Amino acid sequence: MTIQSSATRRRHRTVAATAALGALLAVSACAGGTSVGEAPSGDEVVDGQGEVTGSARLAWWGAGQRNEVTNAVADMFEEEHEGVTIEREFADFGAYFQRLNVQGTSGNLPCLTQMQGRQLNDYTSRNLFLPLDPMIESGAIDVSDIPEEVLDTGRGTDGNLYVVPYGAAYDALVVNETLVEQAGSEMLPEGYTWEDLQSWAMEMQPNLPEGVSALSLSGGRPNFLISYMAAKGETLFKDGKLGFSEEALAEYWTMWEEMRKAGATATPAQMSEQPEQPEQSYVSRGVTVADTAPGNSIINSQATLDGLGNGQTLTSLPLPSGEAGPGNVLFTSGFAIPVNCDNVPTAAAFIDFWANNDEAAAVFASSNGAVTNSRHLEAQLENPELPELRKHDLELYQQIAESEPPTVVYPPGYQATFEESYTRAYERVSFGEVSIEQAVSDFFTEVNAGLGATG
Amino acid sequence: MTDVTRTAQAALLDTPPLAGGPSDGGGTGTKRRTASRRSGSRREAWVAFGFLSPWIVGLLLLTIGPMLYSLYLSFTRYDLLSPPVWAGFANYERMLAADPRFIDSVQVTFLYVVVSVPAVLVASLGVALILNQGMKALSVYRAAFYLPSLIGGSVAIALLWRQVFGQEGIFNQVLAVFGIQGQSWIGNPNSALYTLVVLNVWTFGSTMIIFLAGLRQVPRELHEAASVDGANVFRRFRHVTLPLLTPLIFFNILMTTINAFQAFTPAYVISNGSGGPLNSTLFYTLYLYQRGFANLEMGYASAMAWALVVVLGIFTALLFASARYWVHYGDER
Amino acid sequence: MTTYAPAPRKPLFGRTMSRNKMVLAVARHFTMIVVLIVILYPLLWMVGASFRPANETFNTLSLWPGNFTLDNYVDGWTLGSFTFSRYFFNSLLITLLSVVGNVIACALAAYAFARLEFPFKRTLFAVMLGTMLLPYHVTLVPQYVLFNELAWINTILPLTVPKFLATDAFFIFLMVQFMRTLPRELDDAARLDGCGHVGIFRRIILPLSIPALGTTALFTFINTWNDFLGPLLYLNRPELWTVTQGLNSFLDATGQSTFGPLFAMATLSLAPVVGFFFAAQRLLIEGIATSGLK
Repeated sequence: MTIQSSATRRRHRTVAATAALGALLAVSACAGGTSVGEAPSGDEVVDGQGEVTGSARLAWWGAGQRNEVTNAVADMFEEEHEGVTIEREFADFGAYFQRLNVQGTSGNLPCLTQMQGRQLNDYTSRNLFLPLDPMIESGAIDVSDIPEEVLDTGRGTDGNLYVVPYGAAYDALVVNETLVEQAGSEMLPEGYTWEDLQSWAMEMQPNLPEGVSALSLSGGRPNFLISYMAAKGETLFKDGKLGFSEEALAEYWTMWEEMRKAGATATPAQMSEQPEQPEQSYVSRGVTVADTAPGNSIINSQATLDGLGNGQTLTSLPLPSGEAGPGNVLFTSGFAIPVNCDNVPTAAAFIDFWANNDEAAAVFASSNGAVTNSRHLEAQLENPELPELRKHDLELYQQIAESEPPTVVYPPGYQATFEESYTRAYERVSFGEVSIEQAVSDFFTEVNAGLGATG
Repeated sequence: MTDVTRTAQAALLDTPPLAGGPSDGGGTGTKRRTASRRSGSRREAWVAFGFLSPWIVGLLLLTIGPMLYSLYLSFTRYDLLSPPVWAGFANYERMLAADPRFIDSVQVTFLYVVVSVPAVLVASLGVALILNQGMKALSVYRAAFYLPSLIGGSVAIALLWRQVFGQEGIFNQVLAVFGIQGQSWIGNPNSALYTLVVLNVWTFGSTMIIFLAGLRQVPRELHEAASVDGANVFRRFRHVTLPLLTPLIFFNILMTTINAFQAFTPAYVISNGSGGPLNSTLFYTLYLYQRGFANLEMGYASAMAWALVVVLGIFTALLFASARYWVHYGDER
Repeated sequence: MTTYAPAPRKPLFGRTMSRNKMVLAVARHFTMIVVLIVILYPLLWMVGASFRPANETFNTLSLWPGNFTLDNYVDGWTLGSFTFSRYFFNSLLITLLSVVGNVIACALAAYAFARLEFPFKRTLFAVMLGTMLLPYHVTLVPQYVLFNELAWINTILPLTVPKFLATDAFFIFLMVQFMRTLPRELDDAARLDGCGHVGIFRRIILPLSIPALGTTALFTFINTWNDFLGPLLYLNRPELWTVTQGLNSFLDATGQSTFGPLFAMATLSLAPVVGFFFAAQRLLIEGIATSGLK
């Protein structure tokens, strides 16, 4: 961030405010400034070196327990660096991004802005974040304990690293062992495929109690599709557009429709009213036997199931494999530093602290996906007090990470355009509004028009 | 005005002052004109602007600026994160010609307005009339009817509404008692919107409160005079209560309609912001919000907002034009 | 001064109630209570659920808690960086300031529109109505830019100052409609007594508009108390949070949500609103009857 661009940015903000003030202030200076989103001018490189002092804003999403441990880590950082204040801002996922976009209008993004790969390029495409590679070169941030494939999930479409992922989430197939056993079926074998899953569900269905479905109807879940395409070896996105073929999607939805029509899944109406919190999903309530879910949600889901008092237990498996191998991908979270940050050294030091400090990692305890630092992961797995399900969760992550999952780089507009259209397109199929072919073709048109579009 | 009303008013004006001192209060529509009142004097104008000054300051500093800025934005492409780019009428053209979801949202919103506005008005006026009868434990009932309005927009409501209209909800349990097979009312595209209509009617409390407050301003004496005149309950309502209530009926029609057109929170909370299933609860402002804040198309969202302003402006103007045929103000001479 | 006080209402069912009327009254109350149970079911269920163990929240449709526990209240109150007592205090402060500001500023403006003649009155009235027609989502961004430029982020000013400037036209319009139901003869009489516009406003219009003021106060209280978006944008630091932000922090689609504590705190958060309702409704409903002019 150069001094000059910071000045012009401030000027732009003044102009915007003037416009807002309308008639009253419109007479004052109306020179056009550079924009909030314009790249820092010149070849200035920010290497993150400097005195760690003053205050920096830290923003993340989460609820309850995650907020407590994040606050604890920030407190530890403040203790280690005298004279540093970390101002915290947190909200739940949806509200977090709404506020972030409004803050973005005023060049007011927090110095430490939490990001996921899914939204990252909405911001990098507008040059709102600083590349972190120079800070790694200068030694301000140490990433040597984070596996390369995991680190790569923090890269933008331009190949620069914008986020140091600290936690990696993955989706797993959560299965109700008790119901499977009662239906007289076997557990899915290691390395099972989509075909295996389909026949397993359809064979089990007749033996299940009234009102219980073998699978949730998850043909509209974007992450499930991503893993399907990854397992098939299809590219998800190419040049900011959809990279897989219409045929592949049609095939995928045909499989879901077969299962739905055979009665092996929940109904579309049921899916539409399913709460978005994983611990209230149907698999958490014993209404369906298996469903895809974030790997770490199994702990809360089991708690819900325990509350029902029927003694059922859950386990989780990697998602189905295909011709190209296992289908799991990682969804990582980490912090980015926006160009408007006026305290880059402190922000960089914080990222470094979070990624490498042993006590901080122990306190945070993989609260937002498994910890990406291999040393910390080992330490947590060796902790004798680690609850059984958490251990299972971390081990599954380890297994997935070792299988070198493909890195998905999401184009700008991914979440708003792709996810929303995808869910709706499959709804049109499952509610019987249009044919699969029609829905696939409409989906491709809509998404390819919307992806990468700005404004 | 009808004979009954006139008689009632005459009777009221004949009643002696209640607590001493000259009183001409309570009557409406008398023709007497006081010499000391002269409208439009310069002094009065200054006084008026004095009374209006906080509002005018707020208007100029906080309201008009952002409004005009959004009007400007409606002619631009603006992604929030980089500066707006002039786009002429492109947003408006796209809205009318090339956006099927826009059409869906218009249809959903019109249906919602047409069904829920009359339902809310009838329910709130009806309950207000019943509660105005002076029952015992009145304040408890009033509060109880109002309670739903207090929580209508909370994060908890989505969870509560599933407990009522979900597949496993209480509504289906009640239907089962009568041997009717239920369904997921929230999850079914044909019924999801109606659960939101019910939600809107459920929170009729604020409209009811306005009616109740208005009913309290109908002087009892008018009723008594009318009943002496031999008017029954319905004639008294029709000819005494109703005319005096018209300014507030007018207010409630206008505001309930505007609110229904701008309805956002219920659909946002209950459909997790998606407007689903199948766009069946995609309210106009919900879609506008998705465009503006999720798709980062604030220019398009602003254009949608101003299109709504035009529609609501026409509606408001028509309603005001109709007012002189049916709204009776107490300050008319 | 004049007095305008309709005779106190005669209760419909007095001591001289006949047998028939008694039956009617019982029937009426019975109907009311049945209707209320239907209407209040979701709320009653929430209260019941708030007393269930956290992982049994959704297990039953019954109103009765079952395994009764107070854990949700204890856990909910202390969850987060600060306790709910802080959030309640912040919410109350903002809400009370908003109520005061809105009632005063809107009453002043409404009096001018309802009773005074001045140039451009019709135009200004139309502008006032016009400000209600634009969905607030599109003015949110320019307003944020403005408040950010004024360095009002992380203060309660963006949430309270607008109330003192009568930016919510709904209430001006509401009061105009109320004031216009009051007969002009009252003003004339006061004028004969030597009152100016300020005197008429203060001694005639305000007392007689108490139902409207009470309604405004009540609605402002509830809207401000339930507002989430405003505090979300302007009150970022946890020590400034309001109750709605606290409630929102119980749910998250990406991590652990705690429903029991959510319902417990949602139940508690209704208390001030209900309390204010009972306080305000006396003004609201009994305003005219009890507050003769002094």
